[in-house]
Amino acid sequence: MTPVLRDWWKKDVLNERNGDGHALGPIQKIDVSMRRFGEEEVDYVIVGVGSAGGVLLQRLSRAGFRVLGLEAGPFWNTERDWVSDEAGSHNLYWEDLRITGGEHPLALGANNSGRGVGGGSVHWAAFTPRLHPSDFRIHSEDGVGIDWPMTYEELKPYYEQLELEMPVAGPAYYPWGDPHGYAYGPHPMGGVGDVLIKGCTRLGIGVSIGGPVAILSGSHGDRPHCIYRGFCIQACKVGAKASTLITHVPDALENGAEIRDNCMVSRIHVNKENRVTGVSYFDAKGKEHFQKARAVIVSGYAIETPRLLLNSACPGYENGLANSSDTVGRYLMAQAGNVVLGRFEELVRMYKAPPAHALTEEFYETDPKRDFARGFAIQTVGPLPIAFAKQMMTAKGAWGWGLRRVMMDYNHWASIALLGEILPWPENRVQLAEEKDRFGLPVAKVTFNLHDNDKKLIEFGKNKVMEVMHAAGAQEVVQESRYAHLVGAARMGSDPRTSVVDKFGRTHDLSNLFVCDGSVLPTQGSANPGLTIQALAARTADYLIAQGESIFTRKDRDMMQPAIRRDLAPPGTYGRGIPRLANAGLAKP
Amino acid sequence: MKRNIEGQPGYYPGFSTLAQQPYWDEATRKAVLERVSRSRKLRFFTPEEAPLIEAIFEHILPQGDRSEQYRIPIVPAVDDRLYNNRIDGYRYEGMPPDQEAYRLGMQAIEEIAKQKDGRGFLELTPLEQDKLLKTLHDGKPEGARNIWERMPVHRFWMLLVQDAAEAYYSHPYAWDEIGFGGPAYPRAYMRLEHGEPEPWEVNEQRYAWLAPEDSVSDVSEWIGGHDKHLATPGQGGSH
Repeated sequence: MTPVLRDWWKKDVLNERNGDGHALGPIQKIDVSMRRFGEEEVDYVIVGVGSAGGVLLQRLSRAGFRVLGLEAGPFWNTERDWVSDEAGSHNLYWEDLRITGGEHPLALGANNSGRGVGGGSVHWAAFTPRLHPSDFRIHSEDGVGIDWPMTYEELKPYYEQLELEMPVAGPAYYPWGDPHGYAYGPHPMGGVGDVLIKGCTRLGIGVSIGGPVAILSGSHGDRPHCIYRGFCIQACKVGAKASTLITHVPDALENGAEIRDNCMVSRIHVNKENRVTGVSYFDAKGKEHFQKARAVIVSGYAIETPRLLLNSACPGYENGLANSSDTVGRYLMAQAGNVVLGRFEELVRMYKAPPAHALTEEFYETDPKRDFARGFAIQTVGPLPIAFAKQMMTAKGAWGWGLRRVMMDYNHWASIALLGEILPWPENRVQLAEEKDRFGLPVAKVTFNLHDNDKKLIEFGKNKVMEVMHAAGAQEVVQESRYAHLVGAARMGSDPRTSVVDKFGRTHDLSNLFVCDGSVLPTQGSANPGLTIQALAARTADYLIAQGESIFTRKDRDMMQPAIRRDLAPPGTYGRGIPRLANAGLAKP
Repeated sequence: MKRNIEGQPGYYPGFSTLAQQPYWDEATRKAVLERVSRSRKLRFFTPEEAPLIEAIFEHILPQGDRSEQYRIPIVPAVDDRLYNNRIDGYRYEGMPPDQEAYRLGMQAIEEIAKQKDGRGFLELTPLEQDKLLKTLHDGKPEGARNIWERMPVHRFWMLLVQDAAEAYYSHPYAWDEIGFGGPAYPRAYMRLEHGEPEPWEVNEQRYAWLAPEDSVSDVSEWIGGHDKHLATPGQGGSH
């Protein structure tokens, strides 16, 4: 973090009313005093206030628990801290050192890792497709990966709920997976969406336009509508794109949750009775503290979550916490994210409109005619100049005058991308490296290799996306290999020998230690993971609330699914804009 | 017809993103203006290293068609990043830290230049310099093997190009060159389709744009060459 940001922050302490409130957008403000627990024991410590952590904090505080969120990055004041600028947005990403290796090393940082309150939901492009029902049983259906310990039907009410809480804009009828509709209207098209529509239509491929994206197409409470400025992944200064910072954190603070920002958790503590007792963390000044908690939920995403569990190794847990299965850190997944770029005779100006605004899931499911299992989606992306220059470097080898030349044609290019399922493999994993961070904690080492099915899927998918680009009329089509998103590395399952947590996120080994974030996903489908992560968090919260005190006192586990607590949603989100077609019983065409 | 400002290339004559700054939000304006007026004092590269790294970046992202007034500082931006140890959040296994990578890379380039006839990189002609750097792009450096054993040449190459791209294309003069609208909060974009310009943007007027004859970089070839595609998967976030 830059020191400048921290200095700004000091002038804007949440619990000192300063008249203006803490800005979360041009209109949205936090002007409540934040509760401070000090050193007293809390019910739940949540490590990481991102997509999952923000939802957990809101639900648990609304239900009356004493909840503390520890966040490694800052509590953003969006008007002061965020900019409409690519190079000025590095502080949104996890940019501390990690080592990346394997045959197909993953780019990390800005590519897939957030930092600060809101986490990845601050810099996501905000595509919010659901997983398909088939994603929950790919081992049964295709003999690959593993089945989830739950079904789509169990998660479905939470998908519907979070789509309203964000809320999601999209078409009234979305035909893929479990067909459903969106309550908020789709967005207008940008130049890249037009290209996707044109290419797909010429090839007879269905396209969803204007969503599903967690971006407001109309003003909503104290959040303005989208202004189509195209800087979604540089954080939405407008407040139109949903992040848990603006959708859930304000309600959490209203209900007495505390967030300590710039606090890096270094270790989870376990006592002789095999109960977690709290966490150690370094504050903004580098001073170490111990925070006592009756239960701990780790929500640090697919690299920091396993890193913390591994760094918490202690006598009796020499391989790290919750790792009796040797599964912590394993089965890390990224999605294939090849970007296909096409140059058009006419101008496109792809920097306008949200990068995410149209997609197709026509190739999502396993097709017996193909020589690989599972499938992919095709989505719009809208790289800004720096990202586009780097894509031209990899896709065309551009440098020097050649880079200058192709960049002068920036406004003639459109880009659409593959989002393909890569299967979970045990050797794709997060381990501890020899290098240490500024707190002296070993950093993460990430190893990633593609396997046969992954390679075949990428080859087929990449060619299909290029075919679409050609069909749209591009004169020149190039592509760059890349990966998007990160999930897995602390997967859920029914079998404690092959998974880290049960289907509610409770670790098999420690009854008051939970993991709730993208790292619990056993498989990933071809859907952007943000919605699924938030839906799982709301479901875990309902479970914890239903279990009440027993989480803090008992070791046996009740695996009954609780009823959904729609009444715990942030005010004004439940009961509005019910999708008309969702329950109309329409058959899949 | 509007004319291009002398020494500021681009197909969008008269387009100036900086002229739009009254319509930007305060934080964005501050960030962009700080970049435009950034100090050119170097703190990572030594005075001895400065001419060499300047010469290298003059080929990685050449600006011979820009007048002195409109040149975009690359080395000061890279220097600031390395001095403050701002990394992208990861390092490839087998790569040294970025600071060491730069020192090793410069050493290698100088070594390769000298092994032919004793002339250092700065003493080569622009065409010779361009050709030498292209061997790095192609993954076939002619010498300094001991250094490339410690640092894969294609990863060093990508480090150079990425740093140059970030410094150049984060500058409003580059936005004017390529017709990028720049910051648009709180004003918004409203003409989203068909590449139409906003009322304050400029429509494209193409002209013959030629790279100098003493260069070899105006070609499209994959890093590592066509049979050996060495480029690592995409680095930036786009979805």
